[in-house]
Amino acid sequence: MATHEIFMPALSSTMTEGKIVEWLKKPGERVERGESVLVVESDKADMDVEAFQEGFLAAVLMEAGSTAPVGETIGLIVETEAEIAAAKAAAPSPAAAAPAAPAPAPVAPPAPVPAPVAAPVPVAVSPRAGDGRVVATPRARKLAAQLGVDLAALRGSGPNGRIQAEDVEQATGQPVSVARVAEGTAPAMAAPAGNGAAAAPAAPAGQSFGRAGETVAFNTLQQAVVRNMNASLAVPCFHVGYTITTDRLDAFYKQVKAKGVTMTALLAKAVGMTLARHPQLNASASDAGMAYPASVNVAVAVAMDDGGLITPVLASADRTDLYSLSRNWADLVARSRSKQLKPEEYTTGTFTLSNLGMFGVDRFDAILPPGTGAILAVAASRPVVAALKDGSIAVRRQMQVNLTADHRVIYGTHAAAFLKDLADLIENRPERLAL
Amino acid sequence: MAPNTPAILFEAQGPVPFPLAWDWQRRLQRRRFDDPSAPDALLLLQHTPCYTLGRGASLSHLGFDPDHPPLPLYRIDRGGEVTHHGPGQLVLYPVLDLQRHGGDLHLYLRALEDVVLAVLQELGLEGQRIEGLTGVWLEGRKLAAIGVGARRWISQHGLALNVNGSLEGFGAIVPCGLAGRAVGRLVDWRPCLTPEQVAPLLLAAFAHRFGLTLRPPGPEEGLGES
Repeated sequence: MATHEIFMPALSSTMTEGKIVEWLKKPGERVERGESVLVVESDKADMDVEAFQEGFLAAVLMEAGSTAPVGETIGLIVETEAEIAAAKAAAPSPAAAAPAAPAPAPVAPPAPVPAPVAAPVPVAVSPRAGDGRVVATPRARKLAAQLGVDLAALRGSGPNGRIQAEDVEQATGQPVSVARVAEGTAPAMAAPAGNGAAAAPAAPAGQSFGRAGETVAFNTLQQAVVRNMNASLAVPCFHVGYTITTDRLDAFYKQVKAKGVTMTALLAKAVGMTLARHPQLNASASDAGMAYPASVNVAVAVAMDDGGLITPVLASADRTDLYSLSRNWADLVARSRSKQLKPEEYTTGTFTLSNLGMFGVDRFDAILPPGTGAILAVAASRPVVAALKDGSIAVRRQMQVNLTADHRVIYGTHAAAFLKDLADLIENRPERLAL
Repeated sequence: MAPNTPAILFEAQGPVPFPLAWDWQRRLQRRRFDDPSAPDALLLLQHTPCYTLGRGASLSHLGFDPDHPPLPLYRIDRGGEVTHHGPGQLVLYPVLDLQRHGGDLHLYLRALEDVVLAVLQELGLEGQRIEGLTGVWLEGRKLAAIGVGARRWISQHGLALNVNGSLEGFGAIVPCGLAGRAVGRLVDWRPCLTPEQVAPLLLAAFAHRFGLTLRPPGPEEGLGES
């Protein structure tokens, strides 16, 4: 079968993805060898992409306006008019124009996907389109090199048998994870300091995006983080800390856990309710002055496995009930993993929550995301020996929270009053979170 | 590549209407397709007032009706958003085989920024890059706009450096689609500076950065009606 793929070209060693500006040919149209088929843009540079074979443009797999990773198949060229229909049928339907890189193309060819196995197992070599060369995505190649998988022994699940990263993972028995999301589910059930044993689920081994000696380009998500972090340097921030006793919150969590309530939802609800009474903490600095958003949207920072950070938003966290918040959060996390969040679902936060409690972190401070006034860093809740007001000594579970705020809008007294109310709600009235 | 490779320099005398300069670039590009051993070429000129839009540019950055623009408006085959050209702005259009210069479009954009930064340094000014915003900036104002297009790695379009022209034309657009970012010109820092004074600095910086020796076109290398 003479189907030739058009790949997203690498216009630069620092280019991870490119935008399709325009298809110069329509599906079904004849293309000459060397004729421009489409235009790709990266930064302020355009490049005409030409056909290396003459034939017919059979399918456009990525529409104009969409963005595709370098090496992704974006179109198909066939040699004869008769092959157009067959190539079209085998190809996945075109991805709609999206602002971010779409998820990997769905499985198209009839080849059955090998079931996950425990060790690298060679799978029968499938015949390659044309000349027998191995067709694989750049990510699949890199992964194969890292995991020691022989690409020639794999059967690809991509268009025309192209080997995808998932195929490599499957061959090693690794779970097909698009992106692992490190998400706080509890203000940590970490072991008390000093005994050295981590009681919490073991933290993943240290993550790295490259091998020793390499310099690896930032991917799109990481680049977004770089931009945001640099922008934060222009904001005069200060930090205010508070220690909150969580025994009653933990007890309440045990009661509602069975109803699907997560600790993230509890914390977001507590922050949302307190923000509603402290609008100054929900405000941000703008050129025109202090901007007070129409609603309280609590964003929660989530680390992505493939780099970068995303902040899914629990909209109107003050007015949404705890059970809906928990369901919304589960849905947002699931769709973060598959990269299906709409921009308004991760860019509309008015206040951010960052929780590292599940790793046993006892204190940290967060960097303020642009366009907001404050972010709260939540650390682990741990049993400590506490001196109580009546002079007695008792063991209490306590967590430290640390607020980072833009001093142009939020002053020390605002931050202090907010934290005092938040602590009061969590320490004394956690059941109000369910009202 | 070997240092000091010869390259042809075309320098226009008076302001050039955009379509003419565009046609020159495409001719030079075609020459390279037909003869891969043809030398790199460079156009240095000033434009008559106009607006140009990159291929993917948004019309929302125009402060006017695109059907009735106050100046001629061209949608062209480069990357980037809308910009304005006019007398007092030096425009440099390199038609290079980028495969001979690294084969990396982002690197090429950075190299064009290097050229402008070197010119500013000659004038005792410290220009800046802003991460993610291609161009050259001075004290928060954008002095040079950059946008390129390539076919088979042969470049066209390039950079525009504001020297002493009126900035009024930028008022009707959001230059490069960047709201809230001002446009500047060299004469506001170095009074009395003219494009004629800056041109040799720009050419020298370009030749140095790209390892080229500039020479005028030979008798067979003209661009016709120039």
